[in-house]
Amino acid sequence: MAQAPEVGPLPTVALPRATRFALSTGLEVVALRRDVAPIVSASFMFRTGASLDPPGRAGLASITAEMLDEGAGTRDALAIAADLEQLGSDLWVASGRDGSQLSVQAPRETFNAAMAIAADVLARPRLEDSDWQRVHNDRRTGVVQRRDQPEAVVNVASDRILFGDAHPYGQPVDGLERTIDAITLDDVRGFHAAHVLPNNATLVVAGDFDESKLQSELEALLASWKPGAAPAPARPLPWPDRPRLVIVDRPAAPQSVVRMVAPGIDRFSPDRPGLSMLNAILGGSFTSRLNFNLREKHGYTYGAASSFAFMRHAGSFAARAAVFAESTAPAVREMLSELRGLRERPITTEEHAKAHATLLMRVAEGLSSTGGMATTFGELGLYGLPLDEPMRFVAALRATSADDLRALGERYVDPDAGCIVIVGDRAAIEPGLREIGLPPPVMCNADGDRL
Amino acid sequence: MLTIPFDTFVLENGLPVILHVDRSSPLVAVDVWYHVGSKDEAPGRTGFAHLFEHLMFMGSRNAPYPAFDAIMESWGGHNNGTTSNDRTNYYEIGPRNLLETFLWLEADRLATLSDVITDEELERQRKVVQNERRQSYENRPYGRGDLAIPEAMYAPDHPYHWPTIGSHEDIEAATVADVRAFFQRFYRPSNASLAIAGDFDPAEARALVEKYFGWQPKLPAPARPPKPEQPRLARDIRIALTDRVQLPRLRLSWHSAALFAPGDADLDMAAHVLGGGKSSRLYRSLVFEKRIAQDVFAYQSSQLLGSMFQVGVTAKPGHDLDEMSAAVTAEIQRLVAEGPTEAELARARNTHLADFYKSLDHLQTRADLLNHYQHVLGDPDGVARDVGRYEKTTVASVREAFARVVGEPHLDLRISPEPAAPNPVTA
Repeated sequence: MAQAPEVGPLPTVALPRATRFALSTGLEVVALRRDVAPIVSASFMFRTGASLDPPGRAGLASITAEMLDEGAGTRDALAIAADLEQLGSDLWVASGRDGSQLSVQAPRETFNAAMAIAADVLARPRLEDSDWQRVHNDRRTGVVQRRDQPEAVVNVASDRILFGDAHPYGQPVDGLERTIDAITLDDVRGFHAAHVLPNNATLVVAGDFDESKLQSELEALLASWKPGAAPAPARPLPWPDRPRLVIVDRPAAPQSVVRMVAPGIDRFSPDRPGLSMLNAILGGSFTSRLNFNLREKHGYTYGAASSFAFMRHAGSFAARAAVFAESTAPAVREMLSELRGLRERPITTEEHAKAHATLLMRVAEGLSSTGGMATTFGELGLYGLPLDEPMRFVAALRATSADDLRALGERYVDPDAGCIVIVGDRAAIEPGLREIGLPPPVMCNADGDRL
Repeated sequence: MLTIPFDTFVLENGLPVILHVDRSSPLVAVDVWYHVGSKDEAPGRTGFAHLFEHLMFMGSRNAPYPAFDAIMESWGGHNNGTTSNDRTNYYEIGPRNLLETFLWLEADRLATLSDVITDEELERQRKVVQNERRQSYENRPYGRGDLAIPEAMYAPDHPYHWPTIGSHEDIEAATVADVRAFFQRFYRPSNASLAIAGDFDPAEARALVEKYFGWQPKLPAPARPPKPEQPRLARDIRIALTDRVQLPRLRLSWHSAALFAPGDADLDMAAHVLGGGKSSRLYRSLVFEKRIAQDVFAYQSSQLLGSMFQVGVTAKPGHDLDEMSAAVTAEIQRLVAEGPTEAELARARNTHLADFYKSLDHLQTRADLLNHYQHVLGDPDGVARDVGRYEKTTVASVREAFARVVGEPHLDLRISPEPAAPNPVTA
């Protein structure tokens, strides 16, 4: 068949019907029915996270979250795990910079029983010393093991350099060895009391639940979880000066893990839809300029990409690739040339159409599973955004022209403003980096400490 | 009862087609499996099935490179492929208006790939794959273990002797002539299956499948060597490696029952009881109580020609692998002697079933599962049989299957920190 088939119009993307109500404790609930699989997902999204870790205590929010299911109510840690398994349910916690999350996923029949355990974990964690000794030690070992993983090392180093250690987004969410050492069980108890509050959270329930009973059941299950004074979010700091080139030495590494980071924008900016489209063109799709150049044209890497982190305060822009050690300098040169290219090579009609369709279908895919719905609406709850925000995003995509994208590129992507962070074999890569005009590197260790 | 509703039919040329309608989102997924994996590679060409997967995106006669990706991405679709020992799959996901485009692209590469592939395209993907090997194994902590295990566990003439990613040397050696020969032998309708899932009209989809695939020639399924005997180690093997890691890790591997063979489901349950999460025996003993291990894991990695039962443990600072080995062995012996408790088995079964439910949440996973049953059982209608084999497990059957496996010789692979690891961890 020589001819490509005709492609009809893109389908419209519709929001699932969301019901919103508040429990008497102040917990906001968003409920979304979906009965494709016989499961229910529930996510408690807390509006404060690691950005409120106190100075010198990086890791407190996440280790507090981790301690919650290490014994709660009448169950010890192993009994919680065993009972959740008996119910065929998962309960997991996670912390990000802007928020923390506790999620439960269970078959429809056992969902209420799993939520009863979740209620204990939120309201009545034991936070006992014996469990703390174990969890604290595991975490300390875990952040040291992070040094084994070049991708994790580059994350830690880039954030510390881009934001600075005093910024709420500067230090790793998991903490550093010394900040973990500084945290005490009393810190954890205090963080739990101040943050794990129903009036500091949104609960998203998605899946195959009984709509007529949900509110009364949740009210009963979560009645003993009491509100308190809701904490205020962290305040950002100005961007610090940053070096142009940072290397974390990994002698004899067969690949260099390359990351270029620069200041980005926040979640509430009207430029978010346009920058999302611009990013699809630059490094947010397989046929993006970065991936096509570094992977397909040159074979330097298994994949190159870029992204904006849209957060409560301005997050980062990052371009990334893991490349053959011997191709490090040419790969960096090509990466920079693609960033420059956003100003020099016009956005084509095809690129513009691709960016629009890609973002539109990403919204549709996000809404096409129970877990995806919980994530989509959980993020809205985290940032206090209206439930129709995905549709506003879709409308903004449609209203953004190729010229708008070009203007956004000029404004937000400056190839000379970023810091290039590389985890690789210094001796092998430094001469080439100098040849392409980069200054001598600032050296960091695998925790991102400047040497 | 849990089901994935579907219709199925077979084209004249032998291609089985599976249609699963789900109109809850305006999306469609097309999923194609080819019954070829790294087990089918020729000597000196390890990694070829996976390299070939990359070449499937390098253009076909009517959709020259980079049309495959460019066309679908222009409409918001995306795609990928994966290769294992046993099979290669390709899938596309996108808006429902792309269904015909997906089928056209898949059919065109099945019909014409070998006519248009060039040295230049091979060369480009060779480099991409070599980067993938470095990224996924060589520059990843403990990755050397994954490369060493198949070589140690399987004899040189067994098709699982080499890892799917292959060796750099063999990836270098591959030629366009190899690509054509491989394509002609394995990429034919009778050696594939096609699943479509999502928002479509079944009659229209059937007509489209006939239009794009129906004309392709009928060729017999490729001849296969007889299934090798269930592999056995003659004696225990011990391997010591170093890697750029902070903590030493012990990995134990046994040969075990093949995918869907008697014992396979029992061993999934045994793995869960032994090392499948916080309520497992190894976690309780080594991480929770003794606090000598940083992490533990156990799983049955099920494959067509024979599986491996694997156990792993990472020692905490100040503890060594002899201590890990003794502690793990004690738990293994206890499970051999006593079997799981009824409560442990119930938890393992419930967790397995719930994980299965959860996997049904995703459209492409359902398409992939139907193809998986077609591949392994010769029939997409495998849900009841698959779920049922776990329901049939008993304390006695799990104990017996586990005892049989761990009673055989095994591989003891130890990965220790390189002597000059930077920033060593202190106890």
